[in-house]
Amino acid sequence: MQNYNFLDRSFDACLKCHACTATCPVSNVSLEFGGPKHLGPELKRLTDNQQVIDDKRIELCTLCGNCDISCPENVHVSTLTAYAKAIHADIEGTKLRDHVLSNAELVGVAASAFAPITNAAMTMKPVRQVMQIVLGIPAERKFPQYRFNNFKRKYRKTTSETKRKVAYFVGCYATYNAPEVADSFVEVMKHNGIEVAVPKQKCCGVPMFANGKMEQGLKNAKYNIESLLEYTRQGYDIVLTCTSCTFAFKKEYINYLQSADAHELAKHVYDADEYLRMLKEAGEFNSNLAPMNDKAGYYAPCHMKGQGIGNPAMDILGLIPGYEIQDVAAGCCGQCGTFGFKEEKYEISMKIGKSMSEAIADADADYTVTECGMCRNQLEQLTTKNVKHPMQVLAQSYVKNLEESVHASPK
Amino acid sequence: MRRKIETQVIVIGGGVTGAGVLRDLAVRGIKAILVEQRDLGHGTSSRNHGLLHSGGRYAVRDEEAAIESYRENIILKKTVPGSIEQTGGLFVKVPEDDDDYVQKWVSACEKVGIPVKNIPLEQAFKDEPYLSKKIQAVYSVPDGSVDCFTLVVDVVADAVTRGARALTYHEVIEIIRETNGVSGVLVRNRYTGEEIEVRGDIVINAAGPWGANLAEMAGISLHLINNKGMLAVLNHRFNRQVINRLRIPGDADIFVPAHNVTIFGTTGVNVDDPNDFSLDRQELEMMLEEGAALIPDLLNMRLIRAFSGSRPLYQESTVADTSGRSVTRGIALLDHKQRDGVDGFITITGGKLTTFRYMAEKTVDIVCEKLNIAARCTTDEEIVPHREAQSFFKEVDMAPAAKHKLFHWAGTKAEKIEQSLKQRPIDRTVICECEQVTWAEIESTLTEDSPFNLGDIRRRTRLGMGPCQGTFCSYRAAAVAVEKDAATSEQAAWALNDALNERKKGMTVVATGETAKQAQLMEAIYNVSLRLKEGANQHV
Repeated sequence: MQNYNFLDRSFDACLKCHACTATCPVSNVSLEFGGPKHLGPELKRLTDNQQVIDDKRIELCTLCGNCDISCPENVHVSTLTAYAKAIHADIEGTKLRDHVLSNAELVGVAASAFAPITNAAMTMKPVRQVMQIVLGIPAERKFPQYRFNNFKRKYRKTTSETKRKVAYFVGCYATYNAPEVADSFVEVMKHNGIEVAVPKQKCCGVPMFANGKMEQGLKNAKYNIESLLEYTRQGYDIVLTCTSCTFAFKKEYINYLQSADAHELAKHVYDADEYLRMLKEAGEFNSNLAPMNDKAGYYAPCHMKGQGIGNPAMDILGLIPGYEIQDVAAGCCGQCGTFGFKEEKYEISMKIGKSMSEAIADADADYTVTECGMCRNQLEQLTTKNVKHPMQVLAQSYVKNLEESVHASPK
Repeated sequence: MRRKIETQVIVIGGGVTGAGVLRDLAVRGIKAILVEQRDLGHGTSSRNHGLLHSGGRYAVRDEEAAIESYRENIILKKTVPGSIEQTGGLFVKVPEDDDDYVQKWVSACEKVGIPVKNIPLEQAFKDEPYLSKKIQAVYSVPDGSVDCFTLVVDVVADAVTRGARALTYHEVIEIIRETNGVSGVLVRNRYTGEEIEVRGDIVINAAGPWGANLAEMAGISLHLINNKGMLAVLNHRFNRQVINRLRIPGDADIFVPAHNVTIFGTTGVNVDDPNDFSLDRQELEMMLEEGAALIPDLLNMRLIRAFSGSRPLYQESTVADTSGRSVTRGIALLDHKQRDGVDGFITITGGKLTTFRYMAEKTVDIVCEKLNIAARCTTDEEIVPHREAQSFFKEVDMAPAAKHKLFHWAGTKAEKIEQSLKQRPIDRTVICECEQVTWAEIESTLTEDSPFNLGDIRRRTRLGMGPCQGTFCSYRAAAVAVEKDAATSEQAAWALNDALNERKKGMTVVATGETAKQAQLMEAIYNVSLRLKEGANQHV
């Protein structure tokens, strides 16, 4: 067993005010969870350098990070619950299903290799019934599609020759499930005169942390840090389209590893829209955007909120002439990465998702915009509206503008 | 008509000394009654480190105290297992301290027979990651950690099951004098004002720092030095073992792990008034600076409160020594018949927490001699019921942390607590989250004859002893008590005021940073949100 006497003493600052528990999506729908205050700072205070106390209820923590946002004292609540998860997984062992779910990357490689079969199989009732019985993955749960022509297969550029250099951390979702997001990002960068490089990378570790596989997650973290620092030290910026991967780079790596390298990397990490907003402020943003008369509802993923950078997606999409975007102001979607795929958590996942689905239904919007692939999965399960990544919308506007200017130019 | 109680021996003082005497009397079959001005352990017995000395601290300078400590250390581990955690202890040498003292200390310990073992530094850092990286040598000793609250409560409870009586919240207002001696005491109930006359053959003054006042009531002049020490409670139990500084005993050189906190101290300043529990910020800051030599992180650790208590040190003549450290920690057993010609009055004072049983033995030996009773002391063998309850609560569906606490706390009440936990969900509710105290535990401490008092509950359950200092659990406990008819709403309001005032006292002196915010949050909840009227019906 790992040594869990990691020296995070942020629990010292806890005033027991319960703000974290009051804003915890799980605590809001279930009394079965002990709540972030108890399972985070409280338990850590009782066990730091003392006998371990394992609390099974920690399985219900989704690591959404809302506790950290709400804490007035800057207690690293979700770091402490992440370690409680790791301790629990070490003591109780990890289920086969959780091994599978936490290995999003391995699953991605395998599933996309047989994509047509995987996708078809995932919609077959008997297959799903077997999955429920054997793995404990509920048959009703929608799954993201896998793509044979994944992003890794088609984009192999590892260096950038432009003035601004972007190293793109694609993440498992945009690699295996939604390569169109990655394509759009490359397109958007191209319109801004930036060539995108894709460095060597492994799954960011978020699904591992969420399943208590801290050691494995940290191994990936170290791999990514080493690989990406090679780029940042040559003047590259690290840009991501997945809010959970970004959240890991900006916060989790720092809190879990507490290393100088993690701190160094975080300084160069940007969410894609945040990066564009920075370009805009620097006067480098390409504003040649074709008008779009769409009405969109923006759904902010928890890991977006947790970065504390406002709503860069709305800031950027708001630059498209005629484009109307409003924040649907909904809380957690309830999918919470691998959480919502688990049979015993399905009911809670649906309960959390209820207010989100109501907010989406109430919003006067044609479709929903969100960055997170997992939120998209829940949105697709619980709402009737289409879901797009901000990069897809932006790419569309750029391309449209280019086409229009080609048509408009004299022959 | 005043109520009268007849007994053989009256013990004044519900601290550990009085408790030990009461139990020894009961074990030897002597009828006895203990009177205490407030709750058990109100004075010095709950205002100390809770260190079960191995004797190491006294080995160089006070061999007798060292020998007594080590012998009693072994006896207490066996006879009051429920209140002692066998943590072990370390003596740690830092560069600032005298190199020669180390060998002197090791030899002195060997001479006394205290088992001392040299610990490799890597091992010490592994066990105690908060130790200064500059330390030069580490030795282990068989120190332990004592829960002073449960110790006094359990020792008295055991005496009571053996036929003794205890009257808490009964203050002695008069010592009844006869021509040649004393024949009893007059006590007044602090809650009701009722006066009771307690008559007996022998009155034992075990009143600690109040001892001189009591002696004066009997017309006896007694010189006690009340040496006040300050202690600070750290937000978490960062150490596994007791950590002592390896040098000539001084200020701020002991860290004792106590349940979920660490108690750090102490200082020594002579004071006149035994009720002087004042706390000084400057004294605290000096302590922290000194303590940082062993634990550098100390300066960043959150302090949740501070407290002070007085060591009652006895000496026959007045000597100017304001630090009080050179006065012996030895036991003073005074037969006032011999000393002052007052029959039936004995004072037992001085000594240490670790030697309380031995003090009681010596005292009761004199009592037996006076009463012509041939019973031999057996408290070195007779065991006070343990508090371990590992075989209970297995099937109770409750927070593992709360269960963990019950395993080491429930003791003789385990069966009753388990039943109520199983039967009623509200009893499983964790009322005090910092220290993981359920309502079932709170309820198990309530008695018919004493009013609802959060301080009494706190000393028995640890309710409100954590970082929030009762910000949340005080009102919860009071509300459930009213709901369950354990208190009227008027009693609950009084209890809340009483508890909050007491908590604030200890928080104020450490109130920088988080604890200042905590105090403000507490203030806001009680005085703004709940609009608790201050000072309502303050009668204790």
